[in-house]
This record gives sequence, structure tokens and C-alpha cells, in this order.
Amino acid sequence: MNAATPHPANRPVLDPAHAPPFPVAALPVLRNPQLRKNVAHAVDVIQAKRARLVEEKADWQALRSAAAAIRAHALENLGAYLELFETRCTAAGGQVHWAADADEARQIILDLLRRECASEVIKIKTMTSAEIQLNPFLEAAGIEVFETDLAEIILQLGEDEPSHIVAPALHVNRSQVREIFARRMGIENLSDNPQALTAAARNYLREKFLRAPVAIGGANFLIAETGSVAVVESEGNGRMCLTLPRTLITLAGIEKVLPRYQDLEVMLQVLARSATGERMNPYTSLWTGVTPGDGPERFHVVLLDNGRSRILARRTERQTLRCIRCGACMNACPVYRQTGGHAYGSVYPGPIGAILTPQLMQMRHAQSLPFASSLCGACYEVCPVKINIPEVLIDLRAQITDQERSRMGRVFDPMYLGLRVAVLIFSRAWLFHSAQRIARIGLGLFTRKDGWIHALPSIGAEWTQTRDLRGLPKQTFHAWWANRGGVATREGR
Amino acid sequence: MSPATSSRQQILGRVHTATAPAAAGASSGSGSGSEMDALRSWPGLPRDYVRRGSLSAQPRLELMMERLREYDAETTECSPEGLPAAIAAQLTRCGRRTLVAPEGLPQDWVAPGFKWKIDRGPETGELEMGEIERADGVLTACFCGVAESGTIILHHTAAEGRRVLSLLPDWHLCILRASQVVESLPEYFDRCSEPPRLVTWISGPSATADIEMTRIKGVHGPRFLNVILVRDEDAGATVNGNRREREENGGDRPGKR
Repeated sequence: MNAATPHPANRPVLDPAHAPPFPVAALPVLRNPQLRKNVAHAVDVIQAKRARLVEEKADWQALRSAAAAIRAHALENLGAYLELFETRCTAAGGQVHWAADADEARQIILDLLRRECASEVIKIKTMTSAEIQLNPFLEAAGIEVFETDLAEIILQLGEDEPSHIVAPALHVNRSQVREIFARRMGIENLSDNPQALTAAARNYLREKFLRAPVAIGGANFLIAETGSVAVVESEGNGRMCLTLPRTLITLAGIEKVLPRYQDLEVMLQVLARSATGERMNPYTSLWTGVTPGDGPERFHVVLLDNGRSRILARRTERQTLRCIRCGACMNACPVYRQTGGHAYGSVYPGPIGAILTPQLMQMRHAQSLPFASSLCGACYEVCPVKINIPEVLIDLRAQITDQERSRMGRVFDPMYLGLRVAVLIFSRAWLFHSAQRIARIGLGLFTRKDGWIHALPSIGAEWTQTRDLRGLPKQTFHAWWANRGGVATREGR
Repeated sequence: MSPATSSRQQILGRVHTATAPAAAGASSGSGSGSEMDALRSWPGLPRDYVRRGSLSAQPRLELMMERLREYDAETTECSPEGLPAAIAAQLTRCGRRTLVAPEGLPQDWVAPGFKWKIDRGPETGELEMGEIERADGVLTACFCGVAESGTIILHHTAAEGRRVLSLLPDWHLCILRASQVVESLPEYFDRCSEPPRLVTWISGPSATADIEMTRIKGVHGPRFLNVILVRDEDAGATVNGNRREREENGGDRPGKR
């Protein structure tokens, strides 16, 4: 793809088509104690805040149910709501564009910028633009891109990639931020106090806000009833981008539609609590087309499909599209906590990324991600729109296994051979009993006095390298039951 | 057929096909028919969450003030008659001399002894960005206050000003009437006769926690939020009873019934 620039040596690869598989990508993180400490600290803080605020909300489960129902209803009627959104947004002076894939979305945005003669653009944090790798594409076309969210500035100046969808720079600590800002903003004697670092970002951006002709942002929600767009944020950089430039471009996935304005009474109650552990995020902005005398003169919405309609067509997987990008699932995930976001090789990490990324890639890339989970269900429990992530993970695993099974090379793969033998044994009682007897003798050779197997040879070593295995008991359950049953029967007589 | 049109048709075609079984009972076509069907089935969605708070007026107002203070917003209270004096006192105390304000602000809020720049709209004298940016602060009314989350909601009507007015100055003084305070978020939606065109919800001053989850106040929006709660007469008696009130209460006509 021509949009991708060559990655600096240490820059994480978040293009699923080129990223290494999860177990490989996770290794450098697992060997980096500083990174693990930064990630664990951040998710611990957010989780504690979230837990406290969810606790105080007596109607939390009712809110979750309503949020899930609203999102499911919007998806069931997505075509109708998208058309309604288009009609109302256009009537209010906005212009709606449709992009079937990332290529088309990038081209539409570049054409709009060219029409504005814009040589620079300011951006509100949008994961959708990272999904279509917009920044490298625009930069290659000679347009200077300025991220305005503090975390995104840290990543842009540090030539790094997002590792979380809500707090994209949570893997970077204050002294690393200080180093990046001092070097790239040319500030000497910058302290590593977050207050000072935040002030540096404010100064760096202030005149860019007042000067830039065009802003690009995402959408938290599109309101079909009114044709309005809603953006939630904390810093005020969003409000700056939404009101100061003469032209505003919103890039939004087609799944972002809500039926009515009133639906925000549910969605915004669950979003802020789930995302940042706040009762409400500092700023929520909602606008409708263009308003003479207030804000941009021109407003464009680019509606992006890029694989979403395909997900919509699948019964189990459709719920993936309910996601409101709160990030609660990654904060709760025991795997994410250890590996951070970069290991997922996608701008969407964590449990939601593990189901969303391979589907957006039409199951052609990122096949290792559905296996990057212990299926513990913590993600499902915290999800404000009740996406049953483990259910989707299992379904995707089955699809990937089917893909692999159809490949000829797999005929001789030890795992598939082993499974075929297992099928044979499990389907015949006499074979099963003989296999048990042989296994008891065979494993007995490796079982120590404590009743555990600490080391196995060959392919068995893959298990025992990291875990012990309990030795087989002296008697099978079947034999024990037969004996016990004999006694009971006798007494019965 | 242009590529844009074909992408639109392609996407909508795929979406309609993908959702066809679910919509089969209602409508198989696209266009306004299915829009109507979709909106018609919307009221049946489950809404078992709390739609109306249980607090009486006094504790509701106290909650509002407490939540605002939790965000480091400054709060004071006054009677309707005492509002002009309260505004002047806040400006003096905080050392704010040059203020910007929207055109629809009630005349008696414009306290004498300070320099006021009124934003009068494109035809009659709109303020320049630089003027707004350089001001010591901004004074506006608001549409609603939500106690549970300490949220101030602006609909950007004449007394609330255009969006940039309450964004660029570093200090925002907002007048909130007791009759505008609801307990829970759904009650705010009950007060919207129809969805507003422009909305800003403000919950405390601009903030970030992007560096090690340490909350830092004041990034790009106003660093200081100052709220004066006006104890208008019907606060105690009718706020609860007014929940279906459909009036656009821009803030300049307090407590109308």
C-alpha cells in the first residue's frame, strides 16, 4: 500500500497486513519491565475509577441493557438510519461522502484538502483515521498534519504508535514525554511535571488552532434524527478544531449512527464512566451541518465502510459493531495488561481489537488475535453495550481453524494429525480404554514422587516448559464409578 | 455513474442485504418507508434505567454545587435581585477586567466598572478571534445544569453565545438558575422541546490525564470555570413538577412558568 511510510526500526507496526503475529509481537514487551509497569499503572488507575463510579450507579445494569438495545436496534436498521442521517445532515448544510474502503476515504479527504488549498491540517484524535492510515498518506501528499490531542502529540512527535483507544500514549511515562517534548519542541530545562508538559503542549498548539484552515476529526455518534455529529473529549482541543477552522471534515464508520438525540441520555452515561472513570467527560460537542456565524463554513462527513457491512451480515459477529470505543475491555483484560497495545499489531488493541481487527481485514490478516485471550470474560462483564466478546472470539477461532484445515500443508501438521487420532480414539470405547492404559504407563515414566509431571520430551515440552502437569490418577473415574456402583447396588438389594 | 454515487449504492446495498432478515417483517425496501419503520420500533426499546431523580430541590442544588466543586469549578450563590452585584463581586475577586459576552445577555448582568466587549453577530459587529482570545474572561447564561454529573449544558442561544465565545477565554463565568437544575441526565432531555442544533456540555474545566493518568486542569479550553447559582423563586416548589416543561429557557427570563 502506497500510504505506508517505512517504519523506523523501533516503531511498532500497527498495519495488520504487515504486523507480526501476536505471540511474536508480544515478546519484546514482555521483556520490557518499564513498558509493562507503565501499562499496568495506567489500567489499574482507570479500572479503579471506573469501578467506583459504576458502583454508585444503582441502575448500571439497566443502562447497559438499554445501551446494548439501542446499538443493536441502530445496526438492525442501519441502512434506514444512514439514509436518514444523510438527508438531515445535507438539509442542514453538510455534505455527505461515502467511502467503500480505506483507499477511497483517503482520496476523498485529500481531494477536499486540495480544494481548500490547505497545506496543513489540525486533527482531533480519531482511531478511524489511524485505521485508514491517513496521516502518512497526507504527509506523502505534502500536507502537514498536526495532532492536537495531548496523547496523540506525544505519539506523533515521538514517532510512536497508539497502544490504547482512549489513552493512546499510556505506555509512555512522564520522563519519556519530557524527553520527546524537549527534543521536538526545542524547549530547554523542561521539567517532567505533567502540569509543565501539558502547558508546553498548549503553547505548541495555540497558534496552530487559530491559523489552520481545515480540521479533521472523528465522530463518537452520528444522530440520524437530526443529522448531527457528537464528539466527546477532555482537553478542549476538539472544541477548537470543531469551531475555529473554516472547513471541518468528519471521518466516521458507518456503524456510528444512533437513532435519536435522546439516545445520548443512555450512551453518554455509560461512555464516560466506562472510558475514563468520570461521571461525565469535560466536553461534549454536538453540531448539525453548518450554522452561519458559528463555526466552520463548510462541513463534510465521510462515511466509511471498510469491511463493516461484511461484519453486519454475520449473526454472531454483528455485535462487534455495537462498540462505542470506551476501552473498558482492554483495561479489564489480563492479556492486555501484560502485553500493552502494540502487540496486537492494530490500532484497535485489546479484546475488542482481537475481534474487530481480523474481521476488518476480512479474516485475511491478524489471525493470531482471536487466540490472544484466556476467554475469562472480564471484557464482556465491563462492556457497556454488552458485546459478548468471548462468544465472538470462539466463532472467529472456528473460522480460522476451518481456513487452516482447508490448506493441504495442514494434513501433516502434528496438531491436526493428533486431533484426527483423538477423534478415532474417542469414538470407540475399547480404543479409548486401551489408550488410557498405555498413557498411564507412558506418563508414569515422567511422573515424579509428588504426583506431578515437570518435564516432557518432544512436543510435550511446549507445555511443561511453562507449566507442570498433574500425573494421571491410579484409577479412572469410570473404574471408580463401576466399583462404587457395585457397592450401592448390593446395598439396594 | 460517478464513483461517489456507486460507493453510496454499493455500501447501502450491502447494508440492506446484511440486515434484510431482521427487517423482513417490517419492510424490504429502502428509503423513507424503512426509516419510518425504524423510528416506529424505537420507542419499544427497553428503558428500565432511572429517568427521573428522587431528590427534592435543596439537596439537588447542593449536589449540583458539590459536583461542580469536585471538578475544581468555583461556585457561589445569590438571589435573583442580588445577581448583578454577585457578578461584579466575582469579577473583582478574580481580577477580571476585560470581558466578552454574547449579545443576548440581560442588560443588568453587564456590571459597570469593567470593560465589556459584546459579540453582536456578523452584521452588527462580531468580535475578532484575537479579541476573544485576549479577554480576561467570558460571561454567559446556560440552558440546563445536570446535578448528578455536575454538567452545564449550553444550546448557544442568544444569551449563551456562539461556541467560540465560551472556548477561547481562559476564564468562564456561567450563570445557572436553580430552576434550570435537573438531577439526572434523562431529565435534561425531557426539557428539550426538540433537539438543539448546537450543543456544548461542560463538566468542569478542560482537563487531561494523558500523562501517567495524572489529572491536569486546563489544556485548551478555559482553565477556570466559575458558576453562580441564582436561587430563583420557583426552585423549591416546582423544579420537580416542571420536568415536562417544554420551554426554551435561554437564561434571560428566569423561572418562567
